[in-house]
Amino acid sequence: MGRQDWMERLKIWLMLLPALLVLVGLFSGGLVVGLGQSLGYMPVAGLHSVTLQHYLDLLVEDAFWQSLWVTFSIAFTSTLLSTLVAVPCAFLLRDTFRGSRLVNFLFQVPIPIPHLVVAFGVVTLVAQSGVLARLLASLGLLSEPGQFPALVFDRAGVAIQLVYLWKEIPFIGLVVLAVLQTVGPDYEALAQTLGATRWQRFRYVLLPLILPAILSASMIVFAFVFASYEIPLLLGVRFPAPLPVWSIQLYRDPDLNLRPGAMAIGVLLTLFSILWLVAYRRLMRYALRASGGR
Amino acid sequence: MNTPSNWLVFVTAAVLLLLSGCAAAPAGAAAPPVYTDWDDVLAAAKGTTVHWYMWGGSDKINTDVDNDIGKTVLARYGVTVNRVPVADIAEIINKLLTESSAGVTAGGSVDLLWINGENFKTAKSADLLYGPFVDLLPNSRFVNWEDPAMANDFGTPVEGYESPWGHAQFVMEYDNAQVGDTPPTTFEALAAWIRAHPGKFTYPAIPDFTGSVFVRHLFYWAAGGPTPFLGDFDQAVFDRYAPQVWDYLNGIEPFLWREGETYPEAAAMTDLLANGEIAFNMSYSPGNASLSIAQGIYPDTIRTFVFETGTLANNNYVAIPFNASNPAGALVVANWLIDPEMQLILADPARWGWLMTVDPTRLSAAQQAQLAGYDVGVATLPAAVLAAKALPEPQGEWVAAMEKGWVEQVLQK
Amino acid sequence: MSSFWRGGLVGGIGVVVGLPLLVQVIWSFAFRWYFPDLLPSEWGLHAWRYVFSDSSRVGEALLTSLGIGLAVSLLSIGIGLPAARALALHDFPGKGLVEWLLLVPIVVPGVVATMGVHLVFIHLRIADSSLGVVLVHLIPAVPYMILVMASVFANYDTALEETARTLGADAVRTFWFVTLPAILPGLLVATLFTFLISWSQYVTTLLIGGGRVITLSMLLFPLIGGSNNATAAAISLVFVAPALLALGVTARSLANGPSVLGGLGRP
Repeated sequence: MGRQDWMERLKIWLMLLPALLVLVGLFSGGLVVGLGQSLGYMPVAGLHSVTLQHYLDLLVEDAFWQSLWVTFSIAFTSTLLSTLVAVPCAFLLRDTFRGSRLVNFLFQVPIPIPHLVVAFGVVTLVAQSGVLARLLASLGLLSEPGQFPALVFDRAGVAIQLVYLWKEIPFIGLVVLAVLQTVGPDYEALAQTLGATRWQRFRYVLLPLILPAILSASMIVFAFVFASYEIPLLLGVRFPAPLPVWSIQLYRDPDLNLRPGAMAIGVLLTLFSILWLVAYRRLMRYALRASGGR
Repeated sequence: MNTPSNWLVFVTAAVLLLLSGCAAAPAGAAAPPVYTDWDDVLAAAKGTTVHWYMWGGSDKINTDVDNDIGKTVLARYGVTVNRVPVADIAEIINKLLTESSAGVTAGGSVDLLWINGENFKTAKSADLLYGPFVDLLPNSRFVNWEDPAMANDFGTPVEGYESPWGHAQFVMEYDNAQVGDTPPTTFEALAAWIRAHPGKFTYPAIPDFTGSVFVRHLFYWAAGGPTPFLGDFDQAVFDRYAPQVWDYLNGIEPFLWREGETYPEAAAMTDLLANGEIAFNMSYSPGNASLSIAQGIYPDTIRTFVFETGTLANNNYVAIPFNASNPAGALVVANWLIDPEMQLILADPARWGWLMTVDPTRLSAAQQAQLAGYDVGVATLPAAVLAAKALPEPQGEWVAAMEKGWVEQVLQK
Repeated sequence: MSSFWRGGLVGGIGVVVGLPLLVQVIWSFAFRWYFPDLLPSEWGLHAWRYVFSDSSRVGEALLTSLGIGLAVSLLSIGIGLPAARALALHDFPGKGLVEWLLLVPIVVPGVVATMGVHLVFIHLRIADSSLGVVLVHLIPAVPYMILVMASVFANYDTALEETARTLGADAVRTFWFVTLPAILPGLLVATLFTFLISWSQYVTTLLIGGGRVITLSMLLFPLIGGSNNATAAAISLVFVAPALLALGVTARSLANGPSVLGGLGRP
């Protein structure tokens, strides 16, 4: 390797250094400290022995598996629904029509709005005595809040899903739209000249091009929802609560002996999301091959 | 290609400086000073800031603290009060524990804490508190420390490690448009009402403190009084009464709001009652209903009652952490809180609407007349009625066992 | 698409997007508003009066949120931009691993990392400080910066830079007059994203800030859930306003620089 090459290589690593420092230092560093605590290694609390007990305690507990299921199902449903709505939206937004600029703008509005704000808006709308219930009451369709379906603090987590849908449909939609606009109309036009039907153009030309974007945007959404704390805490049932809620509540308990358990839940959460990630990448590769893409 | 790497050198240097700068921050200094003379305290406190960590969920209390405590203490003693709102004071105990184990013995970020019950017990037993300091406070003479309910906080001896500032007593709030003028004042009558009106009753999910105290009442009901729970925790006694409590709660569960599928947060119950989704709420503050009506939060059909067998009462205290940066300022604030002048503001139904924590008989004749002249408000019970029905709190360990039992036997069932 | 459907689409999106925000505007001016009244039976300004009083700490929290958000986005640019360029324009051994390390916080929950970092920060005495909060916000922010900017640099031609250098422009001038204009639309969007990530954080601020660093989300969270909807609504609107403003500024870049968001679509 020549001196020139060596300098070049050094420069690249120097460019990467701050990012590596911050992310490996903070993220991976924090992860390692957390992993240590989950194994019961907490010198500050006088705990030095390493044990898997905190994991075993969790894995034999019914509540843990219920909680994991709740976490997964909220994340899975909201991702699936957002994706199913977002993709057609992206196609609609691609066309230019009268009012399309307004629609485009409206579609972007949810992007910068914090989840907490959305949560408050959704509660005041869909609670049993919320504005929608009042609307129905003023139309004479119901007389008591109890007659309105329970959408907040409910087992199915409808309000939680609504918050995520409101936030994530535009996110996935805009990512897909961005790719659609990069692709442009040329491929489709070419396919049309070659006699492809509308469905064929979508299935064999566009889909392979946008599938990576759909899959990776939905993966980001899934990971975000899977790890989120405040929305299920504010709008969900007390039990079973999603894993991040459980973990952080244990962490914040005055009893320091609960910390390793909190960390163990967090580590398991991390493990499950990595597992999911790996499976998802497999799926992605398979889907791409099947759809005839790269 | 050079450009980004020049920039990069700058950024790297900045980040490294930042990180090393933090690491070089001074390590543990000496513990906070101990005072023996009140004038020394006043001198040391002048011109300082007190970081007072307190529950921040009520905009009314936030404003009142700033106006009636912050402004006065600044004007009279030159002490600035920085109110730090927190969602649950247990977090701060947690934080002090962490700081303690990390060896942060001075220069801590908390100077004063609004505290009582289990949190006090945890903090005291883990040596997280500064003091004892109560004897140093000149206004401590207005507090009746001979009263066991004052000298013990949920059964934990106070021993000078915290100073009171408000008195609380549990009351039930109800909507007389739904319930009528004769609410169910026994637990049997309450259960009957709940069964007859499905979906109209609930209580906050434990670990919320209001939900927790509701369940404590049921233990007293099961045992026919508070006596068994005032001593040290005894598993056999707990096991004797607990099944009856869980039976009661699981028995009414299908008739609760949402059929007991979930339990609300205390804050959410305010909204539920205001909109008629439920017919009852509960509060540790007997004046809450009147104040909420005045604030437009409750409709004016809300009233309060206490159970025939009584309701639990306790005191709110303030304590100073072991590593407080400004104990002198904290002492000045603690002293102002039990000043008769402040206590009369606090007991004014039109202002704070709390219950006085100092002994009214120790006030001047003029002050006693002022107190007697207060109009308690449309939904508030007279102080004498409340006092006659006040019950002592159990020891902290009982509370923990009851809360754990509720989660396992009621919530997760 | 017929104009009927089009009108329906515009109206539908407008209602769905606007309703959760409109209801908060109404609540913020409500004094008494109980079921089944469709509109408040009494209106009042008490919530807004509280917001503008010192006791609410809204002004202070607004400044804290802005300051932390700006620091996070500027640091993210400084840290993320060189890394994005290195990843997009160069091949080197270990690139796969580096890419994975830099992007993994996007898809792996930060709960454990935050709780772990908390203990380290207490030792370093930067827990309970804005500095600590800024650092912990970098964990989710920097990967987004890298992801978006890497995709910008992937479509970027370095030939122009080299020409400028050959013509005698120094490093600073080359960056300022050649590189920056080319990447600006993307950079704007990425900066907005990182700012918003910091702006919306709740749990990281709560844990690392220890209640001492009060951002708007710290004020809003305890109010959601019903104890005082009018106050919650008013604070919530203050929380939204700068975010919408930021969108107004960058909406054009978002619309005109489609390839930018496409960066999030790269697997």
